[in-house]
Amino acid sequence: MSRPLDVVIVGGGTAGWMTAAALVGVLKPNVCRVRLIESDEIGIVGVGEATLPQMKDFNDLVGIDEAEMMRSTNATFKLGIEFLDWGFKGSTYVHPFGAHGQAWGGVGFHHHWLRAAQNGRPWDIEAFSYAVVASRCDRFEFPSRDPAAIEATYNYAYHFDASLYARYLRGFAEARGLRRTEGKVVEVVLHPESGNVDAIRMESGELVAGDLFIDCSGFRGLIIGQALQSGFEDWSKWLPCDRALAVPCDRAGRFTPFTRSTAREAGWQWRIPLQHRTGNGYVYSSSFISDDDAAATLMRNLDGEAQAEPRPLRFKAGRRVDCWRKNCIAMGLASGFLEPLESTSIYLVQVAITNLLRLFPRNPVDPALVEEFNRLVDNEYDRIRDFLILHYHANTREDGELWRYCRDMEVPDSLRSKIELFTRRGHLPQYKDGLFSPPSWLSVLLGQGLRPQAYDRLADNLPLDELFARMETLHARIDARTAAMPGHDAFVRSYCASAEAVRAPALAGADA
Amino acid sequence: MSRRPEKIAVVGRDAAAWTVAFGLQRAFGRVGVAVTVVDLPSLLGPADVCPALPTLGGLHRLLGLDEREVLASAAGVHALGQRFVGWSGGQGGFLHAYDSQPIGLNSVDFLQYWVKGRGKGLALELDEFSLGAAGARHGRLVTDAAPAAGLPRPAHGYHLHARGYVDLLRRKATASGATCVSGALRGADVADGRIAAVVLEDGTRVEADLFVDATGAEAALIGRLPGDAVEDWGQWLGCDRVLTASAPRLDPLPGYSQIAAFDAGWLGLYPLQDRTAVVAVYDHARQSDAQMLQTAAALSGLALQGDATVAPFRAGFRPRPWIGNCVAIGEGAVSLEPLDAAPMHVVQVGLSHLIALFPVGPDFALETEAYNAAIASHAGNLRDFQIAHYKLNGRSGEPFWDRARDRPAPETLAYKLKLFAGRGRVALYDDEAFQEPSWTSIFVGHGLIPRDYDPLVEMVGEPEQVRHFQNLLRLIAAEVRQAPTIAARLARP
Repeated sequence: MSRPLDVVIVGGGTAGWMTAAALVGVLKPNVCRVRLIESDEIGIVGVGEATLPQMKDFNDLVGIDEAEMMRSTNATFKLGIEFLDWGFKGSTYVHPFGAHGQAWGGVGFHHHWLRAAQNGRPWDIEAFSYAVVASRCDRFEFPSRDPAAIEATYNYAYHFDASLYARYLRGFAEARGLRRTEGKVVEVVLHPESGNVDAIRMESGELVAGDLFIDCSGFRGLIIGQALQSGFEDWSKWLPCDRALAVPCDRAGRFTPFTRSTAREAGWQWRIPLQHRTGNGYVYSSSFISDDDAAATLMRNLDGEAQAEPRPLRFKAGRRVDCWRKNCIAMGLASGFLEPLESTSIYLVQVAITNLLRLFPRNPVDPALVEEFNRLVDNEYDRIRDFLILHYHANTREDGELWRYCRDMEVPDSLRSKIELFTRRGHLPQYKDGLFSPPSWLSVLLGQGLRPQAYDRLADNLPLDELFARMETLHARIDARTAAMPGHDAFVRSYCASAEAVRAPALAGADA
Repeated sequence: MSRRPEKIAVVGRDAAAWTVAFGLQRAFGRVGVAVTVVDLPSLLGPADVCPALPTLGGLHRLLGLDEREVLASAAGVHALGQRFVGWSGGQGGFLHAYDSQPIGLNSVDFLQYWVKGRGKGLALELDEFSLGAAGARHGRLVTDAAPAAGLPRPAHGYHLHARGYVDLLRRKATASGATCVSGALRGADVADGRIAAVVLEDGTRVEADLFVDATGAEAALIGRLPGDAVEDWGQWLGCDRVLTASAPRLDPLPGYSQIAAFDAGWLGLYPLQDRTAVVAVYDHARQSDAQMLQTAAALSGLALQGDATVAPFRAGFRPRPWIGNCVAIGEGAVSLEPLDAAPMHVVQVGLSHLIALFPVGPDFALETEAYNAAIASHAGNLRDFQIAHYKLNGRSGEPFWDRARDRPAPETLAYKLKLFAGRGRVALYDDEAFQEPSWTSIFVGHGLIPRDYDPLVEMVGEPEQVRHFQNLLRLIAAEVRQAPTIAARLARP
C-alpha cells in the first residue's frame, strides 16, 4: 500500500476551508494528510453569501449538520433569486429552485402555458411554480419527501455569512485533525526538471513540502498563475462588470426566502437577507460608472441603516486556462471568476472538490486525471458563463450604456442558438453535466422578456378545455398549499436561530 | 411552401420507415398532421433479426405497444446483453449486460475495488458481479421485479424477428391513421434544395411538406439534395458484408446474443422463439460469401436452414441528415454494424429528435441545425462504442484484426481509452447511448484493465471488501434462482 498523499492547501478563505473540510471529512488519514496555510493578515474576499441547492449535498457529504451550520453562520433559506428591472424597467421575475408546472403528455409545461395564452387565457406562469409563489409571500418549509407531492417540486439553498461559514468549517476541520499553519507564503519552489511544485517557503523560512497543492490564494493565483503560469481566459467582453461594492445594513423590510437582484444603470445590486443583517452590494462595470457614483447609488438603495463603509472589490470575468496544472489545483477565485449573479462561486468550489475526490491522484500525478478534471471544470464554467450572459444580453432597457452594449454584443454561438431555438419554438437547452437545468433556463429566458413565437405541436394533443381545467386545478392547489406554509422568519427562528439574530422592527410588529 | 408541415411522407421500408411513421402518427396524427408511408419493396430476408437495446421498451411504451404483443408478433425473446467470445484471442468471453455497475463502498465505484482485488489475486471476472450477466447466462429474466436491496436493477432489450416486427408496426401505424402507398420509387421532384414530390414506378405522385428518407443505405431522397455528403467510417469499421441465415431454436433459450470473432469479422447468434438468427459481419476481401456460409455453419455449430442472404455494408454517416425538407433516419443517416443493437437505436434517436424538433413554421433552418448537431453527437458516441470492440481486440497475427487494433482511434475514443487505462474512469460526453457501466463492461471485457485504482479504496479494509464481494455474489445467485426462465416467461399468458 502506498503512503498517504500529502495535500497542502494555500489560503483559508471559503474555498480553502471547504476543501480542507471535505478532505478531512471524507478521507481517512491513511490515504490523505492535509495541511492548510493561511495568513490572518490577508483578508478573505468571502465570495458570496448566497448559494445553490447543491450546497446541501456538499454539507451532507462532508458530514455537516445543517441546523448547526445555519445557526453558526446566521443563515437563512433561499428558494431562488428575484430579478427586478432586468429585462426592462419595471419587470420582475423569480428564478426559483424548482419547476414551473408539470409536463403533461410528455410536453413541457411552458408549451401548454403558451397555448393557453394564445387561446385567450394569459396566466402568469409564476403562479404555477410552488417555489415562486412561496417566495412571493415570504414562506418557507422543507420540500416533501414524497416525490409525487406538489411540495416536492422545489429545492432550497442558503444565504449565509461566508466568512462565518469559513470559520465554521475551520472548526470542523481542525476538530478532525487538520493542521493549520499561520503565515505568509513568500516563494513557490518548483522542481527544476518536472516543473512540479516541490514546496512552498513561508515567511518564517519554513519549507512546506507536499504531493499536491491546492491554490486557494484568491484572484492572484499565487501558485497556479504566478508560479505555474496557467493563463487567464478573459470573458470581460461578454461580462463587462469588473467591480463591486459590498455593504451590510441593518435588517429591515421583508425577510425574504430569496436573494434579490436589482438591475441598475451600470450593473446590478444584490440584497441577501441574513438573520443578523442584510448583505448588499453593487456589481458594476467601471467603463460605465465611476466608483463614487456607484457607491452613492448603493447607499441610496439600502432598506436599513448601513453598518459600514462600502468595501470595494475588483475582478475580471474568466477562468484559468488550466485549473489543474502539474500537481496544483486552483479552487475558488484562483481558478476563475464569474460574478455572483446566479450564486455560482461556492458551487464552482464544490464542483472542483467533487471532481478531485472522483479523480484523486497519487504522486506522481497521472496527466490523464488532470486532463479529465479540466475538461469537467471547464464545461461547468462555460455553461454558467452562457447563462449569465443571457441575463445581460436579453434586455430592452433604455437607461444605460451598459445595457445597450450588452444587447448589441455578439454572444457565444452556444448561447445564440439556445436563444433562437427558444424564441422560435420554446425549445429549452438540455445537457448532461453542469448548470443549468431546463427549468432554470425557462425562468430566465421568459423572465428577461423573451416569448416563443410557437409552442410544441405535441401540446395540441390535450383538449383545450381539459388543459384549462388542469391549469386551474394546479394553480388553486399551489395557492392553497403555500398559504399553509410557515413564514420564513418563523421557520428560521424555530429551526436555526443564531445568537445574533435580529428581528426586524416591521416584522416584529406584525408578528406581535 | 408557406406553411408549417401538415403533410409528411415517410419514404422507405422496413423497421426504419414503419417506426418513424408510427411514431409521427402517434405524436401528431390527432393534431392534423397527415402521415403517408411510401412503402418501398422490403429488403428484409426471411431470417433477418432486429436486435434492440432496453431503450426500445421505452419507445414501445410511448407508442402504446404492449411488450407481450411485440414478442408474440415478432417471435421475440428478451435480451439481457451480449456475450463476446474470441475477441481477445483466447476462447474466453464476457457478457456485456444492460446493467448498472454493482454497488461500491464508501462512494467509490465497485470497479475500483475489483481492480485492486484483481491485483491481489482475485480470480473472478467483472461480469460475475453483474446480475444482468448472471441472468443472461442462466437464461433467466431477472428484470421482472426489483432485486434485493444492494443490487441495481438490470434492464432487458429484445431480439425480434424483423419481418414480424415490421408487420406489427405497419398494422399499428395504419390502424392509427397513417396511410400507405406501396410501390417502387422512380424519382423525386427536387426544386430549390427541397423535395416537392416523389414519383413511383406506376406514376403515383406523393407530395408532402416534409419527407423522411427511410430508404436505408440507398439514401434515395437525401442523396439527391445539394449539400449531401457522406463521412466514411470504413477505416475503423472495415467489414463490408452482412450475411444472414437461420438455424433451429436454441434450447434452453439464452438471455443474450453471442458475438464471436473470427479471422475476417464476427458472427452473431440471436435467439428467437422459433429459430436462431445467424448474422455474419465480415470483410469479403478475406472471406468470400460462399466461404462465409460454410464458416457460419462451422462456427455456430448449428445446422443452417433455408436460404441465406448477403447484403453489402459500409460504415459511415451523413453529417447533414436533415437538408431542406428531407430528414434521413436510420441507416441512411448513420450506418453502423448490427453490433450493440446500434441500427435500431439509430432509428429511435432520429425519430425522437424529429418529434422534439418537429417544425412549427414554414422555415426549418433552426430545427435543421439543431437536429444535425444532435444526431452527429449521438452517432459519434455510438460509433466510438463500436470501434472500441475492434480497437481492443487481442487476435494477434490476423491481418484483419491487427489492422483494426493498429488503426488510431477517433480522438474522442482515444481520450476515453487513455483515461480508462490509467484509472478506470469513463469520460462521458453528451448524448451517450451507453453509460459508464456499459463502457466499463466492454473495456474490461476486452482486456483493458486499468493500471491503477482509486487510492480512496484503501479506506476500506480488505476483510470488509471481501465480505462485500461475497455478499454481492450471494445476492446475485439468490436472485437468479428465483427468476423465471425466459421460456417460462414467454409462455405466461
